Amino acid sequence: MTIWWLTFILASLAAVFIGFIWIIVALNRLQAGGGSKKKSVSDLDKTYADMAEEEADHLFNKEFREELRNRGRLRFEKIIDENAMFLKQDMDLTISQLNDYMKQQIGAKLEGEFAIYSKGMKDAQELTLGTLQKTAEELEQQRQELSEAMKKSVTAREAGILNAFETNMAEIVEHYVLQSLGEQFDMKSQMPYIMKQMEEHKKEMTEDMLL
Amino acid sequence: MSEIAAPAPFVFPSALIGRADLARLLRELENLDNDLESQRARNHGNTEGYHMPNMSRALSDFLETNKIDTANDHARMELTKQLRKLKDHAPVIHMTFASEADPESLQELVTWIRSELHPQALLSVGLQPSLIGGVYVRTPNHVHDFSVRAHMKDSRKLIVEALDAVSRSPQ
Repeated sequence: MTIWWLTFILASLAAVFIGFIWIIVALNRLQAGGGSKKKSVSDLDKTYADMAEEEADHLFNKEFREELRNRGRLRFEKIIDENAMFLKQDMDLTISQLNDYMKQQIGAKLEGEFAIYSKGMKDAQELTLGTLQKTAEELEQQRQELSEAMKKSVTAREAGILNAFETNMAEIVEHYVLQSLGEQFDMKSQMPYIMKQMEEHKKEMTEDMLL
Repeated sequence: MSEIAAPAPFVFPSALIGRADLARLLRELENLDNDLESQRARNHGNTEGYHMPNMSRALSDFLETNKIDTANDHARMELTKQLRKLKDHAPVIHMTFASEADPESLQELVTWIRSELHPQALLSVGLQPSLIGGVYVRTPNHVHDFSVRAHMKDSRKLIVEALDAVSRSPQ
């Protein structure tokens, strides 16, 4: 540090000190002349109040109120828009959450119902299979019984046919003889046979005639 | 004749076979009676000198067989009465043959029937070719099947036995 720098610092300090002293003196002078001016200040205040009222009327005139109303309306609309936006956001969020909740609930419910339905279907399928199996067994049993009955019936039928054949064969022979000889016998050739038969049954016929 | 006043054991001629013949005989006898009555009326009750109208062979045989004097009004009346009764009450034997019965055979049969069964029996004749042969006799209360068909039916077991024997015999 040089001497010049020290001189400059000291000179600055001295200048600040002198300015401070001047301010103090100026304030003292101002306080000494204040008693005479108090009355004028109140008058001024009154005047300023009147002026302020008067100016208030000028300041808050119709246009200004309209301007304020417009500003208020805009402000209110802005607030409403913001609230509506917030409400919309809340509603969207709520709806989204509600959708998720509904999805979860419906999904869970549907899963439960599907599980019950699947179980029911499985039970029905098992029951149907069991019934079909039982029916198939019964059918097989009936088929066997029917087969046995058919065998018995066929055997009986064969025996009956054979029996009928033997019986009908005699009728066939009779028919053959009838067709072959029916026109060949004349009365005179039969008379000995007829008379013989009549003689053999004469007693019965006589008794019948006398009744 | 006084013989016919009692229940008449008339002997029917063999030419009189069935009820139709008897009815024909009765009708002819009634005509004869009417004719003789007319003659008597014309002769004022005089029965002498009747002119006998022509009679059929059946009637003349019947009158001759039974020795009935047709000039006797009472005898004719009794005969007519008895024949009417017989027409309705004489026993009838129905005989069905397999072929047409010739009159000679029928007369032979009716002669035998009247000599062996009943002297006043009448015969009703039918035809049934399915009998093959023989006769089917229906008396008032019974039926006697003397046909070949019945005989074969009774012998049917012989055919069955023959068939059995054939079926059991080795090939």
